Amino acid sequence: MRSHLLRHLQVLFYSLGELARAPLTAFMTIAVIGITLALPAALYALLGNLQRVGGGWDQGAQISLFLKLDAPRTAAETLAGQIRAMPGVARVRYISPAAALKEFKRLSGFGNTLDLLNSNPLPAVLLVRPTGHAARPRAAQDLARTLGKLPGVAQAQFDLEWVRRLDAILRLAQRGVLILALLLGIAVLLVVGNTIRLAILSRRAEIEVIKLIGGTDAFIRRPFLYAGLFQGLFGGLLAWILVAASLALLAGPVRDLAGLYGSGFELAGLGLRAGAILLLGGAFLGWTGSRLAVGRHLRAIEPG
Amino acid sequence: MIRLNNVFKRYPGGFDALRDVSFEVGADEMVFITGHSGAGKSTLLKILTLIEHASRGQVVVNNKNVARLPRRRIPHFRREIGVVFQDNKLLHDRTVFDNVALPLVVAGLSHLEIGRRARAALAKVGLLGKEKMYPITLSGGEQQRVGIARAVVNKPALLLADEPTGNLDADMADQIIDLFHDFNQHGVCVVIATHDLRQIQRLRKRVIGLKDGEIIIDSGNQAA
Repeated sequence: MRSHLLRHLQVLFYSLGELARAPLTAFMTIAVIGITLALPAALYALLGNLQRVGGGWDQGAQISLFLKLDAPRTAAETLAGQIRAMPGVARVRYISPAAALKEFKRLSGFGNTLDLLNSNPLPAVLLVRPTGHAARPRAAQDLARTLGKLPGVAQAQFDLEWVRRLDAILRLAQRGVLILALLLGIAVLLVVGNTIRLAILSRRAEIEVIKLIGGTDAFIRRPFLYAGLFQGLFGGLLAWILVAASLALLAGPVRDLAGLYGSGFELAGLGLRAGAILLLGGAFLGWTGSRLAVGRHLRAIEPG
Repeated sequence: MIRLNNVFKRYPGGFDALRDVSFEVGADEMVFITGHSGAGKSTLLKILTLIEHASRGQVVVNNKNVARLPRRRIPHFRREIGVVFQDNKLLHDRTVFDNVALPLVVAGLSHLEIGRRARAALAKVGLLGKEKMYPITLSGGEQQRVGIARAVVNKPALLLADEPTGNLDADMADQIIDLFHDFNQHGVCVVIATHDLRQIQRLRKRVIGLKDGEIIIDSGNQAA
């Protein structure tokens, strides 16, 4: 058992050595695999970030109740208390017309031009935040309708339609990335398979001799399988590096853009779990591609 | 060691390479198989090493009926036979030592054992000083001796050789055949396919002559 393990280790290091002996060929293959894997991985990371953008708004799903302009502050407070007691309501916040104007000034960019108005055109607003369950688009919509009918409320606004659309688009994109990943995974199989095929053909004489002196198929297969495994593993690692580098390059501009929207959004990286999947997936694809090529071509090489 | 009963070999296309060949070789014998090229010598050796299968008839090598040997057992079967090729089939990107050690590596021996046995085999063929050299830097005779060292490094009971002197001048050929003779003296069964009549006359061993796939001479069939 120990000698078996030792032999595997020997072949493992031998295969690594082979890669080092032909660094250019090895690098080319690894680069192709890396770029191929980087594409779906980058899209996956991008989608994850987009989902966080949508998710941020989704959590902030709230219903804006615009009160009638002539409603006094006390009436608004009473109404707020009334709503607070309703089922499905988590929180109610009162925004006075003055506060609303101040916020509008800050966000709209009109700034001091608004000072020219001699009265505040904005109504008081009650921001109603539904509880987790009631925050789902359909339930929130119903709640908004109920709230809209309360006396003193001019209009209830709940606009999550675009969040739902974004969600649908993201799900579509996710499916697309999955399909792309599948196709590119097959491409990696073929790339590794082809590299291993060439390696087998270039060592045809050696394989023949080893078969003649009693080398088993497993013995002959082993170095090729390890070669495929390493190419896939290093390809996965390169893909991770490529994605991380791309995201790092994008981080600055994204931060600036988010800042312009008044958001503290930061681009998230691929994450440890996705990275590990990338490495293991690469290794698995390399091994499998090699396995397929070896199975097909080794049997064809018989001494004679 | 070897027993053939009514062996036929027909290649696709209808060419009969062997026709009704029967003979037996004892464990301590040295046999020359001779005949013109195309007489069936190579086919015979290929059947003995399981490179080819007989179309009909029974082949028993080393107490194993080769027709009943499953594919996965073939490597283990071949480890018990040493084979020397006319073109020696050495690997030119490996040193003499690595070439000779290959059957031991394949069989999964320990590092220490591999070194010990490979050096012993090289010593036997008189090439111990050249173990670190590459085959291409050696003479034809020396290359053939590396091939012989590789064939005997597993200590096989049966040694097969296909035209081992085919590419060598007379002096070197003598040395090679003497080497085979020496192994035979130490109890190894040796079968050499050759058309080198000089060697056959020199050693006066059993000769099996083939012509068009049939046995036409079998001097001293001791087993029969």
